[in-house]
Amino acid sequence: MENTSTDIRQLNEKIHQASAFVDLLNLELSKVIVGQRYMVDRLLIGLLAQGHVLLEGVPGLAKTLSIKSLSSAINAKFSRIQFTPDLLPADVVGTMIYNQQKNEFVVRRGPIFANFILADEINRAPAKVQSALLEAMQERQITIGDTTFKLDDPFLVLATQNPIEQEGTYTLPEAQVDRFMLKVVIGYPTKEEELHIIRQNLNPQNTAKINPVIQPADILEARKLVREVYMDEKIERYILDIVFATRNPEDYKLQKLKPLISYGGSPRASINLALAAKAYAFMKRRGYVIPEDVRSICFDVMRHRVGLTYEAEAENVTSENILSEILNAVEVP
Amino acid sequence: MGKQIIFLFALLGLLSPLSSLAQQSRVEVNAKADTDKIRIGEQVKLRLSATVEQPTGLTVVFPQVPDSLSHWEVVTRSKIDTAGDNNKKIFSQTLTITSFDSGHWDIPAFRFDVVQNAGGATDSAFTGPLGIDVGTITVDTTKAFKPIKAVRTVGWNFWDYWLYFAIGITVIIIGIGLFVYFRSKPKKEVVKPVVPLIAPYEAALQQLQHLRGEKIWQQGDVKQYYTRLTDILRAYFEQQFNIPALEQTSEELLQHIKPVTILNQQRDKLRSLLTVADLAKFAKLHPSPDEHEAAIQQAIEIVEWTKPAAAKAPETVKEEIKQP
Repeated sequence: MENTSTDIRQLNEKIHQASAFVDLLNLELSKVIVGQRYMVDRLLIGLLAQGHVLLEGVPGLAKTLSIKSLSSAINAKFSRIQFTPDLLPADVVGTMIYNQQKNEFVVRRGPIFANFILADEINRAPAKVQSALLEAMQERQITIGDTTFKLDDPFLVLATQNPIEQEGTYTLPEAQVDRFMLKVVIGYPTKEEELHIIRQNLNPQNTAKINPVIQPADILEARKLVREVYMDEKIERYILDIVFATRNPEDYKLQKLKPLISYGGSPRASINLALAAKAYAFMKRRGYVIPEDVRSICFDVMRHRVGLTYEAEAENVTSENILSEILNAVEVP
Repeated sequence: MGKQIIFLFALLGLLSPLSSLAQQSRVEVNAKADTDKIRIGEQVKLRLSATVEQPTGLTVVFPQVPDSLSHWEVVTRSKIDTAGDNNKKIFSQTLTITSFDSGHWDIPAFRFDVVQNAGGATDSAFTGPLGIDVGTITVDTTKAFKPIKAVRTVGWNFWDYWLYFAIGITVIIIGIGLFVYFRSKPKKEVVKPVVPLIAPYEAALQQLQHLRGEKIWQQGDVKQYYTRLTDILRAYFEQQFNIPALEQTSEELLQHIKPVTILNQQRDKLRSLLTVADLAKFAKLHPSPDEHEAAIQQAIEIVEWTKPAAAKAPETVKEEIKQP
């Protein structure tokens, strides 16, 4: 059924009301998290668009604190898994243990049974563990023994990668990285923010506690609304142009990018870009997507989906450079 | 007694330099050097010859000279040459020999075999010995040792390089030929880019007036109306102020017009126009007819406002952009 002007106006009003919790959440999180607004916004986009987030940043940038605070504000269950080289799939998903009293095997659920999972330093675990987690992310269910368990909803995985130490790591294959909706690169806070962080941490009286402002059920409702956000065909074509420009840059007068790109965005990139743009529009309390939404979220959705050639690496060209060129060349509707 | 006589003849034949066969047929062999004194390492031409009177019925076999003789080395050997007339024939061979030992050295006698064609009787003839003095270079020991002479450069010779000269000259000739050919070839007419006769702001105004006249919003195509309206404005900004407006979102465009003062003064008007256009394009908003008219009027005003700057736009804009 095609949306009419009246439908969209109603939807806009509905979303304007329903998205009010975003401001509340931000306000609550700002009690303990100084700065990092960009990261928190992306976490919310992942949460609303039902996509997982891969975070890349040096240790100590409040990654754990952010996701822990977010789960507290949503009154959701949080779990943290530190990935190490000796981790086993059973340590993540759970296993069957023998109960001597009952003389039977019982299921012992792993830490993945939570709403928010922080998979810390995911690239330190071997591929077997990574694939167990990524399978759970994709299927949103776990099979232990003969029993299949559906994971809690909302279910958001925030995986971190440390870009500094590459020794003893198992780099995530491209196909698995593609399963993350967003790859967010976070940087250091500003001087003023860091000053605030020092004072906040050294003050013994400062014991700010995050209070639940919404319930997981509200998030599930919001997700339905996110899917309803109106996306015009012009925006859909704009998204396609961006993704296709990563595959065939020469079609967009970007011949110089051709030798730098080994592979472009997959159809999953198009889907995720559209979904993330809708979630971004929702957070901006709009019932429709505008080109700004696509551009705002484009780097986070696409940066891990554009493969670089050896030539690009030799010339220190990053996927962000390539995406910037593409965004500057593709006409905005 | 008879046996004793035969033995005596045989002994004489062995001892004599010329055997009986040779004597009977008058075969004469000879070895002659072109000099009897050389310096060490110098070469001597040694001519071996056999003169046979005709007709003989004899075959003369030349000696097989080895590569080395005592104190002498054979450098070259010529082929056996034949000369003479009906009365006698002279067979000769020239050897080039040298010696690297100083002293007086004898060249041993060479043996020529003489074979009788009828019967196969064989005899030998020997050349006489030759003595040649091989002297060393006289060194004045009273003088000091001299250093080794430096490497001597070979004089420049044109024929050593004639091929390179030939290639170079050929390449130059081909180059000149090509140059002359292409220069004399009639040139294609260069198609000059068509310079728009009207200024960007005039073109924008014309297009806006045309859009106003079309009234496509009356046909229900509101989205198309606002798309064209904003495209005209963006193209105008791009041509007039070098802002890549067609590749920017509304918000980015509003950010990028800041350095262009004259455009920035119309920012609020532009913002409201772009907002309505975005809503019409992306949110299916149907503004009222008055709003349609107001939108195009705003666009015309923005273009008109920037019109005075248009004539001197390039310099003005550059200066304005430089300002922090």
